[in-house]
Amino acid sequence: MSQAIIVEAEIRRYSPTEDDAPRYETYTVHGTDNMRVLDVIRSIYAEQAGDLAFQFACRVGRCGTCAVKVNGVPVLACQERCVPRMRIEPLTPFPVIRDLVIDRTEIEARYTALELTPEPPPSDAAHPLPMQPAQAEKIGHMDSCLACMICVSACPAVAERPFDGPAFMLKLGYMNQHPNNGKDRLPSALEGGMLECFGCDVCTQLCPADLSPAQAIRELRSEVVLGRRRLP
Amino acid sequence: MSRLASLPRDTTQQTQSPLYGNISRLLHRATGSVIVVFVLVHAIVQAVRHAPALAAWNAPLLEPLQHQAWIHGILYFSIVFHTLYGLRLLAGDLGIRTSYRKTLWVAAFAGLVFLFREFARYAGY
Repeated sequence: MSQAIIVEAEIRRYSPTEDDAPRYETYTVHGTDNMRVLDVIRSIYAEQAGDLAFQFACRVGRCGTCAVKVNGVPVLACQERCVPRMRIEPLTPFPVIRDLVIDRTEIEARYTALELTPEPPPSDAAHPLPMQPAQAEKIGHMDSCLACMICVSACPAVAERPFDGPAFMLKLGYMNQHPNNGKDRLPSALEGGMLECFGCDVCTQLCPADLSPAQAIRELRSEVVLGRRRLP
Repeated sequence: MSRLASLPRDTTQQTQSPLYGNISRLLHRATGSVIVVFVLVHAIVQAVRHAPALAAWNAPLLEPLQHQAWIHGILYFSIVFHTLYGLRLLAGDLGIRTSYRKTLWVAAFAGLVFLFREFARYAGY
């Protein structure tokens, strides 16, 4: 049974072309305690701040578009339940286009540079690629990354060290296990700062797709340590 | 049904729970700093204690410092926690997966056992 709640939301407002510096504006929203953060933001947009910039698409936690920081923790706004006091900010460390919208140009460029497309099957292949069910399940699961950048925003190594971030390492780990992978992925992973990862698993805890980028990094690291051999 | 095909866990209250990995990471740093500081201070104190010219410092300052329960307790906690969490990180480099929650609880609990053991020892138990 949902109960009435008054939410005080402090939202970081900033337009690089209009404002000298970011500012926080506080809005009060009346609703129920099963509201999601996105419901609060949409309510503020509809009733109090029509110029608030934010983005969302699916509203069911499958697109990763609405990722924001709530009280310092990166979350999907469409999934996270609201609390009475919230500070809502755009994801760090990405450049802000306006208010809660980040510029994903660099993210897309990094994905492109990693060449994450499997090799096409031979033109005379009449059947799908044969694959062990367990392997198909694993790489299918790893491919469910939303690219929401929650893990990159939460990662303490990204903040402190030259590390691209867990999301990119997860994709490299996925490609490394793909049977149609046509490249050695370890050099890209090392160049992206794989060894800078603290192994803290904050990315695992926060991933909305229930993935473990940290484990993908561990498996890539084990290949550096042990070669292609795997421990039993 | 396999674990991978099961429904994802509840991610609707992410801001409500502590970030276990961050706690472990900061504790690992703090305990590492304690160990480094202890080794440095220990080397200096032992040098001072065995230098006749500095004997005046020994009785009033350094001798009581050797018998503080909290110093031993914190040091033992630091050594145990730092070792266990460090082993977890080394295991990670071999591709071995460990639960970030359980590792924190196990390492912290083991460290606390040694911490309280020191307090108990000083209390005469």
